[in-house]
Amino acid sequence: MTTTLAVDVAGLEKNFGSTRALDGLDLRIETGTVAGFLGPNGSGKTTTIRILLGLLRSDGGRAMLLGGDPWKDAVALHRRIAYVAGDVTLWPNLTGGEAIDILGSLRGDLDRTRVDSFLQRFDLDPTKKARSYSKGNRQKVGLVSAFASRAELLFLDEPTNGLDPLMEGVFTECVAEARAEGTSVLLSSHIFAEVEKLCDTVTIIRDGRTVESGTLSELRHLQRSTITVTLDGDPSVLSTLDGVNDLVADGGHATFTVDSGALPRVLAALAPLNPRELVSSPPSLEELFLRHYGVHAAATE
Amino acid sequence: MSTTGILTMMRFIVRRNWLRMLIWLVVLAGMIPLVIDSQRELFPTQEARDAYAQVANTPAIAALTGLPYAAGTLGGILNIKLWMTLAVALSLAVVFLVTRNGRAEEEGGRTELLRAGVLGRHAYSLANLIVFTVFAAIVGLACSALAISQGLPAGGSVFMGASFVGVALVFLGIAAVTGQLTTTSRGANALASAVLAVAYLIRAGADVEADDDRAAWFTWLSPIGWGQQMRSYGENLWWPFIVCVVVAVLLCCIALALERRRDLGAGILPDRVGRRGASAFGRTQLGLTLRLQRSSIIGWTVGILVGALFFGGVATAMANLLTGDNPIAQAFIGESKDVLDGLLGFFTMANALLVAAFALQSSDTIRSEESTGRAEAQWSSAISRIRWAGVRMIVPAVLSLILLALSGAAIGLAFGAAVGDASQAPRFMVASIAYWPSILLVIGVVVLCAALIPRAASAVTWGLYGVAVVLSMFGDLFGLPDWVVRNTPFTAVPRLGQDFAALPLIVLTALAIVAGAFGLWRLRTRDMTSA
Repeated sequence: MTTTLAVDVAGLEKNFGSTRALDGLDLRIETGTVAGFLGPNGSGKTTTIRILLGLLRSDGGRAMLLGGDPWKDAVALHRRIAYVAGDVTLWPNLTGGEAIDILGSLRGDLDRTRVDSFLQRFDLDPTKKARSYSKGNRQKVGLVSAFASRAELLFLDEPTNGLDPLMEGVFTECVAEARAEGTSVLLSSHIFAEVEKLCDTVTIIRDGRTVESGTLSELRHLQRSTITVTLDGDPSVLSTLDGVNDLVADGGHATFTVDSGALPRVLAALAPLNPRELVSSPPSLEELFLRHYGVHAAATE
Repeated sequence: MSTTGILTMMRFIVRRNWLRMLIWLVVLAGMIPLVIDSQRELFPTQEARDAYAQVANTPAIAALTGLPYAAGTLGGILNIKLWMTLAVALSLAVVFLVTRNGRAEEEGGRTELLRAGVLGRHAYSLANLIVFTVFAAIVGLACSALAISQGLPAGGSVFMGASFVGVALVFLGIAAVTGQLTTTSRGANALASAVLAVAYLIRAGADVEADDDRAAWFTWLSPIGWGQQMRSYGENLWWPFIVCVVVAVLLCCIALALERRRDLGAGILPDRVGRRGASAFGRTQLGLTLRLQRSSIIGWTVGILVGALFFGGVATAMANLLTGDNPIAQAFIGESKDVLDGLLGFFTMANALLVAAFALQSSDTIRSEESTGRAEAQWSSAISRIRWAGVRMIVPAVLSLILLALSGAAIGLAFGAAVGDASQAPRFMVASIAYWPSILLVIGVVVLCAALIPRAASAVTWGLYGVAVVLSMFGDLFGLPDWVVRNTPFTAVPRLGQDFAALPLIVLTALAIVAGAFGLWRLRTRDMTSA
C-alpha cells in the first residue's frame, strides 16, 4: 500500500447549474477507521458520496478513493466498495431476497451464507415483494446487501432512516464488526449518539465546505467544557477569572463554561473556595454541531 | 346495522369517481354514433349490406368480435363492429372501479380509517356495488338512446344497451368476489381480468364452432356469451338478461358473506410467498432485464400475434369492399399493384409499428431505472454504464427481430388460410423482417434521448413515435410532399410486393448505430440525474 487513506478528498467542487453544491470540501478517511460525516440537509453530503461513487463528476479539486480515481476507475473500484443510500429504492415486483442477490452479483462477491446471517440479524423476510416493504425494511435490504459484501470501504448515507431502536442497535454492532475486520466506513448521519458511539473521526460540513474535522477528542479540545460546582465560598469571584464564561451563580451553586486551556488556572482558583461537588462535562457532539449552525453560528457572522 | 352510513359512502364514492365515470361514459357511449355514421357511409344501400352479410361470417371475425347475425341490417353491422369492444370495455371499467374503491382502499389503509368511525361492516362495499351498478345502467341507457337517435330500431337498441349492462353486472359481481379473495388491488384486478379473458376465449371457441349463425352450446358457460345470446337487433331475447342479473346478485351476496367472515385487510386466498433469492440466471443483467419485463413481453407477444392473425384474416374481405377509386383505398395501395397487395403491405407495416412500440417501451427502462432512483445502486456496483445500458438495448433488439419474424409468418398463414394457399408465410416473414433496421433506429433514438435529455426523454421518444405512426399510416391523406411521406423510418422500407432495395435498410442501420453509440458514450460521460 502506498497510501493509508481510504478516501482522500481536497478542495472538491461541484456546481449544478448556478447552484454551488460543493465549495472546496475536504474529507480524509484513514484505512480501517470509521468517519462520521455531519451536515444539515442540502449541505453536500450526498453529492460528495455520489462523486466518490463515480455517479457525478467533480468540477474541481482532488478526489481519491482506495488509491484510484472515482470517475475513471469506477468499475474496478466498485468491486471493493458497498453503498447504502438514505432512501433505498427497489424493484417493486422483485422480492427483497432477489434484490440482494442481484446487487451482490453485480458487485461479484455474493455470499449466500453471509447474506442469510445478516437477514437473520436484521430480522428481514426476503420472500416479500419490495412493493410491500415499509421504509425501514427497504433500508434493511440495502444494509444486508452492504454488510454481507466483503467490501473494503462502506458508504452509508443516513442508513438508519426508518429503523426502529432495536435495529439501530444491530446496525451499530455491524459497523463495529466491520471496523474490527479492517473495513473503512464513511457514515453520514443526523444521529449524534450514533456518530459519537461509532466514529473515530468526524467531519462537519456546511454549504459544501468542511468547517471542522478531526477526532472527537481533538474537536472537543477546541471547545469549552461546562462545569457545575457547589461551593462554600462566594462564587462571584469566578467572574473575574480569565477563561471563565457564561457564569450563572445562585448561592453556593455555580455553572460556567471554561476554555480547555484555562482549566488548570480555574481549578486552582476554585480550590480555596472549598468545592464540595464538581461536575465537568465535555461538549457533546450536538453542541459542537449546533455551534456551526445554530444561533451561535449566526451571531459570529 | 351493518349498512349504517351507506348513503354517506355512496356520496363519497361518487365524489371521488365522478370524473372517471364521466370519461368512461363519454368514450364508451360516444363510439355508438361514430360507428353508426361510418358504417352508414360504408354500406349506404341495402345491396351493399346484403353483399357484406355474404362475406362477414369468417372465423377471424367470429373469434374476435363475435358470431355475426343479422349482418344485412345496420344494427347487425353495429353489433359486429362494436358490441364486443363495448361489452369487454364496460366490464373492465366496472372491474377497475370496484377494485379501486374496494380492495385498493383497504390495502391503502383508508378503509380502516372509515370503519373505525360510525360505519357498518358492509356499508362501504354495498355502496360501492350500488354506485357502479347505477353507472353500468346509465352507460347502457346512453348506448340505447344514442342508437335510437341515430335511427336504429328502438327494440333492438334497448336490448343492445341491456346486454352491455347484463355482462357488466356479472363482472361487477366477479370483481366484488376477487376483492374479497386477494389482499392486493393488483391481485384483485388480475384475477377478475383473468376470468374475463377466459369468458372471452370460451365464447370465441363457441362462435367459431357455430352452426350457421348459432353459436355452439358452450357459449352458455361464458357471461359474455349470455349478452351475445340476447341477440339484439335479431330475435331480441330478454331472458339471458335475467340470467346475468341473478348471477350478479348471487356473486355480490357471496362477496358480502366473505366480508363478514374475514378480518379487515386480510384476504381469503393465501398471500403468495416470493422467491427467497434470485436464480443463477436471474442474477445476471440479462436475466434481470427479462425478469422485470416478463409480463410485458408476454402481453406484447400475444397481442401482436393476435393482431397479425386478424390482419391476415380480414385482408381479402376488406380488399373486396374497397374499390380502387375510394380515397382510403388509394392511400392503402400506394405503389402496389392492386388493393389487396397494398392492403397487405399496409398491414405488414402497421404490424411493424406495433413491434416498434414494444421495442420503445422495453428500451425506455434505461431512462425509467434512472428516474426512479434504482439505477443508483446498480451504477455504483461493478458494471459499466455502457454494459448496463447495452443489455437493455440488446433485449428489445433481439426480441423485436423474433416478433417481426413470428408476426410476419402469422399474417402470411392467416392470409394463406383465407385464400387457400399455404405457401404465403415465408414471403410475409421476409417483408416483416425488413422493418428491423427501423426498429433498431427507434432503440437508438431512445438511448440517445435518455442520455441527452433524461427528464424529457420519455415524452420526446413517444412523441416522435406518434409522428412516425401518423406519417406512415396516413401521410398520403394529409397531402404532404411525396419525399417526406416516402422517407420516414417506416415508409422508407420496401413494402411487401414492392421491389427490394437495400439502400434504405443500410441507411437506417447506420443511423441506428450512430444514435445508439453516441447515446451510450454520452450516458457514460454525464452525471447521474437524481430521482
